[in-house]
Amino acid sequence: MNAIRWKKFFASPKWVTVVWVLGLILVWEIGATVVAGVKRTPENVLPHLYQIIGSVFSSQKANSTQTAIQIVLSNAWITLMRAGIGFALGAMAGFMLALLMSLFSAVEKMIFPYLMMIQMIPILGMAPIVLAITRDIDKSRIVIAAILTFYPVATNTLSGFKAVEREKRELMFSLAASRYDVYRKLLIPSSLPYLFTGLKIAAPMAITASILVDTLQGGGGLGCMMSQSLKHAMTIYVFWQIVFLSAIIGILSYQLMAWLEKLVSPYRRSGGDFPATDAKEPTP
Amino acid sequence: MQFARKLPKTDTGVDDGIEIRIENLSVRFPDKNSRATVDALTGINLDIRRGEFISLVGPSGCGKTTLLRTIADLQAPSEGTVTVRGRTPREMRLQKKFGIVFQSPVLYDWRTARRNVCMPMELMGLPRKQRTRTVSEMLDLVNLLGSGHKYPHQMSGGMQQRVGIARALATQPEILLMDEPFSALDEFTKEKLNEELLSIWSIAKKTVVFVTHNIAESVFLSDRVVVLSPHPGRVSAVVEIDLPRPRHLAVRDTPAFGALVSRVRNSFEGV
Ligand SMILES: Nc1ncnc2c1ncn2[C@@H]1O[C@H](COP(=O)(O)OP(=O)(O)O)[C@@H](O)[C@H]1O
Ligand SMILES: [Mg+2]
Repeated sequence: MNAIRWKKFFASPKWVTVVWVLGLILVWEIGATVVAGVKRTPENVLPHLYQIIGSVFSSQKANSTQTAIQIVLSNAWITLMRAGIGFALGAMAGFMLALLMSLFSAVEKMIFPYLMMIQMIPILGMAPIVLAITRDIDKSRIVIAAILTFYPVATNTLSGFKAVEREKRELMFSLAASRYDVYRKLLIPSSLPYLFTGLKIAAPMAITASILVDTLQGGGGLGCMMSQSLKHAMTIYVFWQIVFLSAIIGILSYQLMAWLEKLVSPYRRSGGDFPATDAKEPTP
Repeated sequence: MQFARKLPKTDTGVDDGIEIRIENLSVRFPDKNSRATVDALTGINLDIRRGEFISLVGPSGCGKTTLLRTIADLQAPSEGTVTVRGRTPREMRLQKKFGIVFQSPVLYDWRTARRNVCMPMELMGLPRKQRTRTVSEMLDLVNLLGSGHKYPHQMSGGMQQRVGIARALATQPEILLMDEPFSALDEFTKEKLNEELLSIWSIAKKTVVFVTHNIAESVFLSDRVVVLSPHPGRVSAVVEIDLPRPRHLAVRDTPAFGALVSRVRNSFEGV
């Protein structure tokens, strides 16, 4: 690499990420080396990274039929599906409630305190209650993921509605726009960045919550495998693989939301000029 | 272009040439810091003629915006009445007779210039073909036909304000209300847009109520300049501007122009 490319590299935020990742690996490995010196079963506390990576490619069966990575991936799918359904339901409900709260201030006054309260109950306390009500671990996963998604989506979207400048509302008013048009043409489009802020917060949370609910009962899912692995019902490397996979899924879920946001709001995509293909714009 | 104006009908059936009649208008606001009230406007009497270009000029806080908002039905009078073509401002607003241009462009940043200009016509439910045609006409009028595809963040302040003007004209309103539309722009852009605005006005023949705190701008543009003074907001003078039209920027170097600017400046009270 020549000097100019290095300069470019350091001017971009990428190198911060690189430094972080390298630092993390370094700290982890120092820790693992220390642990390996003092513990008899260091892999239960902090294995080396190469050991974890090795376990991913190992063909050794971790139970009667599957290798460690096969167990992790098949259960990841279960957790992800439930988290995804719960996330979608929660996002829709949160958006609808934000609409209702902005349409009727009485609804906002009535419901907002309860929203805050639900938000303050820890997931670990809420999960057994939900499980007792639904009597089904699958439904519980969905419900918990939905509840966790609901709050950030509802509050962020509501503040998006409220953040619309007075003059933009007055423009609609001076054009005698119907309430429906005010929402469709002004409030909803202008609150999209807020909605996506909520979605970006909620997506990793929904996945974490779904994993936590897994640990309550058998029946599959990443959390379930995690606790089995920790109880030595299968190799401990299932646990370590899940730790990394969950982190990756969490980051990807955030990235997915960021990507969706760019997709629906092209006007924020760039600072630069658009290609001058003006004349043929389909809708005026 | 379809700027031909329908013959206006007033309630009495008599066309007296008055577009906006303001009678004994007062607007009071509750004061934030005390129990008292702020007299934003007191006892305003003003007749604005049809097709006239009129400016409201005065220091900030003298009630220019409040007067404009009262005409547009964005603010209710505390006392007195505003009549627009014999009707209430509310009736006129519901018929979309006002085109408003704010100090900031107030564009929707998720819409291109074209779609911003189009928005009021979507609300009116006009067919797409007509919308497309009118959008092009309006953008042409403000010299932005080539920039229709741009989003607001890709345009300069002057371009954004021109999109705002095109949007205000798109509904074919009878009355154009402009609240310091150019005050955030640099001097060069402002002068260019002043000239452009006059040429648009000479084509469109709307009644224009133009708010500014810039005396030279108000003299250059207007048929009459209404001088407002603060505390309480009131009309302290109305100055007829008899400079010949069409006007170009060079008119500002004439002695007649200078004399009119002085007359307006000397009309302020208690500033
Ligand atoms: N919504 C409001 N509430 C309270 N006071 C207001 C409000 N709008 C305007 N005022 C007051 O009325 C006076 C006139 O304001 P404004 O019409 O905005 O003046 P201008 O546009 O000439 O600067 C000011 O003293 C201002 O503080
Ligand atoms: Mg003002």
